[in-house]
Amino acid sequence: MIKVTNISCGYENKPILKNVSFSLTKQSHLTVFGLNGSGKSTLAKAICGLIDYKGSIKIDGTELRKLSYIERARRISYIPAKVELFEQYNTLEEFVLLGRYPHKAAYQNYTAKDHQITRNALQTMKIDSLSARSLHTLSSGQQQMALIAQALTQKSKIIIFDEPTANLDPANSLAFASQLVSLREKGISTILITHDLHLGHHMKAPVLFVDNGTAEYFADPELFFSDDSLQHRYAVTFSRRALGVVYD
Amino acid sequence: MIKVIFYGLFFALLVYSPFVGTAVLNLSELLDPTSLSHRIFVELRLPRVLLGFMAGASLGLAGLLFQNIFRNVLMTPYTLGVSSGAVLGAGIAIKLGLGTLFLGFGAVTLFGFIGAVTTVLLLVWLSRYLKRAEHESLLLLGIALSFFYTAALMMIFFVSSFIESHMLMRFTMGSLSVIGYKEPLIITASTLFLLAGMWVYRYELQLLALSDEQARLKGLNTSSVTLILLLISSVAIATLVSLTGPIGFVGLVVPHIIRLVYKRDVSRLILPTFLFGGLFLVACDTVARSIELGSEVPIGVITSLIGGPFFIYLILQNRGR
Repeated sequence: MIKVTNISCGYENKPILKNVSFSLTKQSHLTVFGLNGSGKSTLAKAICGLIDYKGSIKIDGTELRKLSYIERARRISYIPAKVELFEQYNTLEEFVLLGRYPHKAAYQNYTAKDHQITRNALQTMKIDSLSARSLHTLSSGQQQMALIAQALTQKSKIIIFDEPTANLDPANSLAFASQLVSLREKGISTILITHDLHLGHHMKAPVLFVDNGTAEYFADPELFFSDDSLQHRYAVTFSRRALGVVYD
Repeated sequence: MIKVIFYGLFFALLVYSPFVGTAVLNLSELLDPTSLSHRIFVELRLPRVLLGFMAGASLGLAGLLFQNIFRNVLMTPYTLGVSSGAVLGAGIAIKLGLGTLFLGFGAVTLFGFIGAVTTVLLLVWLSRYLKRAEHESLLLLGIALSFFYTAALMMIFFVSSFIESHMLMRFTMGSLSVIGYKEPLIITASTLFLLAGMWVYRYELQLLALSDEQARLKGLNTSSVTLILLLISSVAIATLVSLTGPIGFVGLVVPHIIRLVYKRDVSRLILPTFLFGGLFLVACDTVARSIELGSEVPIGVITSLIGGPFFIYLILQNRGR
């Protein structure tokens, strides 16, 4: 589904990632870990086509840079760590409806089907009761759910989450984790960028560890989650019994 | 309910406006086509109200557009130097004494138009050297351009004759004085062009107003859509400024009031901004014509007197964001 081969990218001639490769098959999951500033978000932005890259990113066999903006949006959704929006007065429903933009005919209105898909997504995320509220009146957890609902209406087969649980309380983190699993059951491939080792472990899926611009791929996540490996990579001592949300 | 009162008052003013002015109209003669009152009403007052309405609508819409594509409430054609560009163009035409007509337009109009369009293109070109989302820098570029244009205009003032200086000064103050329907109809056409353009691109504007990244993630080619919208608005603004001179702050005040009253996203503010922008400028113009100071107060002076303090209020409000 996604095949990333030897990509290098960065900002304004300042390289951040060097020769990163990995692949993700249909309906599967990849968890991306890494220290602060290691290039995790840069990797996500390259895969969405937000920044230029050298090397190859193929989505369903087609090179990403050959796809139009609309075609990219139909294939990939990205939920950034933090959204700062200028527009204050979109209602939740209007905001989620914008996920239908890549499917809308040019210069036409959103159709009844688009509105139906939007309402379904609001129900799936259990935020339909908030649909008339303005986005800026919602809590971080509710905004997170709104972004996921928007990604669902976008009907892309790949969704990238950038530190989704960073602003969530334990109960919302747990709710998010179950949504993540159910997305996979809906046939969606997910990439999760996180510092939450418990959540990553819970996903029981391959891990990509980004470190200083390069990346190590672990097809078997247990190799990454071994005490020695964690200690070596993060340079701190880990305890299996440390406080954290129990996802399993 | 507030909206009904709000619009009721402004509509009443719109109807009342053509009856206000230095010359007192004789109401009983109004329907007599040969009377002076009739001629003043039909050939001076009505065209002026139409021009005022359409000019206000254009300024409001252009302000709404600039604020949303640059995601900053301080961005308007006026604050970005587009109006100053038009004034400089017009100033050059006045100084060179180019009164002759090109294609039916006065040289002042044509040079003003060129000045405004050149400024938009200059801003688009310069913004390529800014980092994405660095729109604060764009505002500073606009202010720098305004200073440059003003300095160039001062030079023209300095070397001008008394009559040229007077013409220049009247132009820089902005005016809705008009005889007949030619100018009002040109402005009506350019305003409707801007309205139609924004309406066609309303969903794209809705995405642009979120953030550049969000818009691109939804499949929008933000650079090309921004350029198209800027060109549409610069045609409308250039046409307007070259005919009326700069009328400041309407583009800043109107969209902000509309946003506060409606609390809706940009796609639903286009029509209210068109309507209220028009009514607001007609109201300002009615005030300008009611004040007895020997001759009428230039409209740009009235809008700037309201807009200046409002601008300070917006900057203070904006601090926290």
